[in-house]
Amino acid sequence: MGLFDGLARWLGIKKKEANVLVVGLDNSGKTTIINHFKSEEYKNHDIVPTIGFQVEKFKTKSLSFTAFDMSGQGRYRDLWQAYYRECHGVIFVIDSSDKLRIVVAKDELDALLKHPEVQRKRIPILFFANKMDLRDAVSSVKCSQLMELENIRDKAWHICASNAITGDGLDEGIQWLTDQLKDVLVKK
Amino acid sequence: MHILRRDKKEEEEGGGNPFHNLEKTTVLQEARTFNETPINPRKCAHTLTKVLYLINQGEQIGTTEATEAFFAMTKLFQSKDATLRRLVYLGIKEMSKIAQDVIIVTSSLMKDMTGKEDQFRGPAIRALCSITDNTMLQSIERYMKQAIVDKNHAVSSAALVSSLHLSKGSHEVTKRWVNEAQEAVSNDNVMVQYHALGLLYHIRKHDKLAVTKLVAKFSKQSLKSPYAYCLLIRIASKLIEEEGAGSDSPMFEFIEGCLRHKSEIVIYEAAQAMVNMKETTAKELAPAVSVLQLFCSSPKPTLRFAAVRTLNKVAMKHPAAVTACNLDLENLITDQNRSIATLAITTLLKTGSESSVDRLMKQISSFMTEISDEFKIVVVQAIQSLCLKFPRKHSVMMNFLSQMLRDEGGFEYKKAIVDSVITIIEENPEAKEAGLAHLCEFIEDCEHAVLATRILHLLGREGPRTPTPSKYIRFIYNRVILENAAVRAAAVTALAKFGAHCEELLNSCIVLLLRCLLDTDDEVRDRATFYVDTLKEKQKALNSAYILNGLQVSVIGLERALHQYTLEPSEKPFDMKTVPLASQPITEQRVQAVREPGETTAPKATDKVAASRQDVYAEQLARIPEFANLGALFKSSTPVELTESETEYVVRCVKHTFPHYIVFQFDCTNTLNDQVLENASVHLEPSDGFEVIKYLPCPKLSYDTPGTTYTLVRMPDEATQVTGTFSCTLKFVVKDCDPNTGEPDEEGYEDEYVLEDVEASVADHVQKVMKPNFGASWEEVGPEFEVEDTYSLSTMKTLEEAVTNIIQCMGMQPCERSDKVPEGKNAHTLYLAGVYRGGHDALVRSKLAMSEAGITMQLTIRSTDQSVSEVLASAIS
Repeated sequence: MGLFDGLARWLGIKKKEANVLVVGLDNSGKTTIINHFKSEEYKNHDIVPTIGFQVEKFKTKSLSFTAFDMSGQGRYRDLWQAYYRECHGVIFVIDSSDKLRIVVAKDELDALLKHPEVQRKRIPILFFANKMDLRDAVSSVKCSQLMELENIRDKAWHICASNAITGDGLDEGIQWLTDQLKDVLVKK
Repeated sequence: MHILRRDKKEEEEGGGNPFHNLEKTTVLQEARTFNETPINPRKCAHTLTKVLYLINQGEQIGTTEATEAFFAMTKLFQSKDATLRRLVYLGIKEMSKIAQDVIIVTSSLMKDMTGKEDQFRGPAIRALCSITDNTMLQSIERYMKQAIVDKNHAVSSAALVSSLHLSKGSHEVTKRWVNEAQEAVSNDNVMVQYHALGLLYHIRKHDKLAVTKLVAKFSKQSLKSPYAYCLLIRIASKLIEEEGAGSDSPMFEFIEGCLRHKSEIVIYEAAQAMVNMKETTAKELAPAVSVLQLFCSSPKPTLRFAAVRTLNKVAMKHPAAVTACNLDLENLITDQNRSIATLAITTLLKTGSESSVDRLMKQISSFMTEISDEFKIVVVQAIQSLCLKFPRKHSVMMNFLSQMLRDEGGFEYKKAIVDSVITIIEENPEAKEAGLAHLCEFIEDCEHAVLATRILHLLGREGPRTPTPSKYIRFIYNRVILENAAVRAAAVTALAKFGAHCEELLNSCIVLLLRCLLDTDDEVRDRATFYVDTLKEKQKALNSAYILNGLQVSVIGLERALHQYTLEPSEKPFDMKTVPLASQPITEQRVQAVREPGETTAPKATDKVAASRQDVYAEQLARIPEFANLGALFKSSTPVELTESETEYVVRCVKHTFPHYIVFQFDCTNTLNDQVLENASVHLEPSDGFEVIKYLPCPKLSYDTPGTTYTLVRMPDEATQVTGTFSCTLKFVVKDCDPNTGEPDEEGYEDEYVLEDVEASVADHVQKVMKPNFGASWEEVGPEFEVEDTYSLSTMKTLEEAVTNIIQCMGMQPCERSDKVPEGKNAHTLYLAGVYRGGHDALVRSKLAMSEAGITMQLTIRSTDQSVSEVLASAIS
C-alpha cells in the first residue's frame, strides 16, 4: 500500500495531504471560509452555527487539505485540544468587527499556544482578520497588535484581512499556508 | 498488517470466532490508529469492529478510556469510505452512553443526514438522536422534521423511529412533529407507514380521546401496510381493555373486520387480540376461532404453530369454543413439527371429553421422549388442569405423571411435575394417598435438593393425617441416612411432625430422632435436639406451637428486628411479638406487567413477592422521627382510593396500625399543571374516643409528583372500641404557577378539598396468619376466652358468597383450604386464623348451613384475651 502511494506521490499524480485545524470564536466565520473553498456542487447555502466539529476537504494547486472546522461556542472550545496532535497547521479566524471580544480571542489563542501538543511542534498559524467589509472593522495591523501576535516567536504566522462572503483575501492566506506546509511535509 | 495476519492464523486454529481472544487494553491501544494520517480505512474498520465487539460482549469501558477512543474515532469522519463511516455511526451509538462530550459529532452528523449520500443519511439520523439531549434537540428539530417527510424510505423510517426514542426524554419537543408524522402515515412504503403510525400513537397515547379518534380515522381510511394494521389492532384492543367496552363498540367491529383482511399477519393479529380480550363470550370468539381453524390446515408451519398455540390459550377459558376445531387438531397430532403436535394434543386434552382422555394420553406418551423440556412442561400443565376438571380420572393422570417423574429431565421439568402433583393432592383428597406414594418414590432418587426438601415438607404436613402414617416414616428416614445436609434437616423436621401428631408413632419417632443427634451437620443436630426435647414434654400446646405450626413472622422483618436488637444491647430478652408477621399468601400475588401495544404480544406475568410490602412501609415510617416511639408496625392495610381517579387531586390512603396508634398515610398527587400546593395535610374528624395527635404536612406538591402526608391518631383506651369512621378534608395553600416552567407565584391562598371517609375496621387490627395444622392450634389456644354466637345471614345467597364476606370482614387467613366450598353441599365449616394487635392469637371457626330461609352461621372465636374475642365477634354484626 505504502509503496504504491509513494510512487504516485513521486510521479506527482497524487497530491500531498495536510490536516488543518480551523478555530476561532463563535460567529467569526470559520464555516463560511471553509465553504468558500469547496467546489461549487458541495457548497452550502445557509450556514448554521456548528455544534462540535465538521470535517471538510478541499484542494489547492499543490496540496489537498482536510480541514477540521471546530465549533467556536464557549462550551465546545475545550474540545479543540483533542485535535491538536494530528494537525499540520492552524487557521485562526478573528472577527475584526467585534472589538469587544478580541481579548477573548486572545485568551483562546494563548491557551492554544501553551498547549504541550502545539508547543512541541513547528506548525504554521494563519490568521484571518475576517469581516473586513464591515464598517467598524479594525485593520489587520491593528488586529495583530490587539492579539499581540508579535510575541509569537517559535511559530511561523501570517495575518491577512479577509471577507469570507465575497472571498477577498482568502486565497492569499491559503497560498501562504500552502507554501509553509509544503516545507513541513517535505521535511517529514 | 501484522495484526491482521496473526488474527487470521488464530481463526484457522480456533475455528469460528476471530475475536475470541480480544483484550480490552490492546484493542483500545489499537484504536490509536484512528489518529494516523492518512487514514487506512481497512485497518481502522477492523479495529473499530473489535471495539464494537467488546462493547457488545458486555466489556466495561471506563469513561476516560471511552472518551479517548471516541475522540480518536471522530477523526475517521475525514475518510469517505462507506463501510468505515457506517461503522463509525455504530460506534457513536454504542459509545454515546459511556463517553463524555459526545456532542462533538453533532454537526458532522447533521451534515451527513442532510447530505447527498443516501446510504449515510439514515444511520446518521439514528446516531444523532442517540447523542442528542433535551437542550440540543431544538437545534436539530428543523432537520428532523424534514427527514420525517423525506422521499427516501430509509431516511424517513430512521427519523420516525429515532423520534420515538427521543420522545421518551423530551416528549414536549416531539409533540410538535405531529403534522410531519401525519404526512408520513400516507406514505406508500409499508415500513414508513408503520413507523409513522407508531410515532403518532406514542405522541398521543396519554390522551385517550385522541387515540380513539386516531383508531377511528385510520380504520376507515385503508392503510397499505399490514404492520400498521397490526399496530392499530393492538391499540384498539388496549383501548377496549381500558374502557371495558363490549362487543358493540366500533373498536371491536374494526378488529372483527380485520379478520377478513387479505394479509395473514393481520388476520392472525386480529384473532389473537380477540382471544386475549378479558370479557368475551364464546359466541363473540367464534369468528376468531374459525379463522384460526383455517390456519390449522395451512401449508406454512409458522401459521399452524401460531394458530394451535393461540387455540391452546383459548381452551383455558372457553373450551367449548375450541371444540369446533377438534377435527383439525386431531390431524395436527401427527404433524411433522413436534411443537405443533404437542400443542395440538394439550389443546385437545383441555377440550376433549372424559372418554377421549385415555386415548390422547396414550398418543402423547408415544413421543414424550422426542420433545424438549419446554413442551413437556406444557404437557404437564395440561394434565394438571385436566385432573382438576375430571377428578375421577386422577389415577390415570397420576400414573402418567409418575412415569414422567421417572424419566430423564431437567430441573424445570421435574419442578413442574412436582408442582402439578402437589396441586392435585391439595385439590382432590382422593388423590392424596397415590400422590404421596409417587412423591415418596421420587425422593428415593432425586438429585434436586430443592424439590426433595419441598416434598419432605409436604409429607410432614399431610402424611400424619393419612390413615396409615407409619408407611411414610421409612422413606423419610432413608433421607436422613442417604442425603446431604439440607435434605437431612428437612427430613428431621418431617419426622418430628409425625411424632407430634400421631401418638402411637411418638416413641418410634423419638428413637429415630435420637439417632440424628450425632449428625455431622450443625443444623441437623440442632433441629433433632430441639425436637427430641419438645416431644418428650408430651404437651399438645407445645407441639402445636413449635412443631406443627412453625414461625409466622416475616423473615425480612425478623432479620431487621434482630439486627436492631444486637445494635442496642438491653437487659430485656428479645420479644418475638415485636416482629412483623408474614402477610399471607405470599405465592398468590402476581402483578401483571403493563402491556404496551407494539412491544410484546403475550402478556408477561412477572412474579413479585409482595411479602416485603409491609417491610417497605415499616422502613419508611421508621425514618420519620415523629413516629419513632410508636412501637413496631403491626399491619399496613391495602391502599384505598379517597377520590375518583379523574379529579383535580388524587388521594390514596394506607392505614398503618401500631400497638396504640394508627398512622394514616395519604399519598396525594396534584393533577393540575398550573398549580403548586404547599403545606398540604389531611384533617380528620375522628369519631368517639379517637384523638388526632399530630399532622405531618407535605411541604410541596408539584404537578404530577406524588407526595405523602401523615396523620397520627391515638386509639381509645377502651380495648373493645376499635372501629370508627373518619371524615377527611385535604387542606393546603394553593399557588398558581406557569404550566411550562413550574415557577409558582409569590402569593398563595388557603383552600380545602373534601375527601371520602376513611374507616378503621376490625380487619385493620388483625394480621393474617397461616396455620398449617388448624386443629392443633385450636387445642393450643383452648376454650378459656371463647365466644360463641349464632347468626342468620339473610342477605347472602350462596355459601361461597358468605365465605368471601366473612373472610373480608374478619381480615383473617382461611386455613385447611376451607375457603373453597365443595360443590353441591349445604353445610360448610370455615377456619380462620390471625393475630390480633398486641400479639394475641385469634382463631375462628364458623359453621355455615344453608336452608330455605337463608344461611345460618355458628361462629366460635377463641383467643388469648377476652376483649379480643369480643371485638372479633362484633366484626360480623
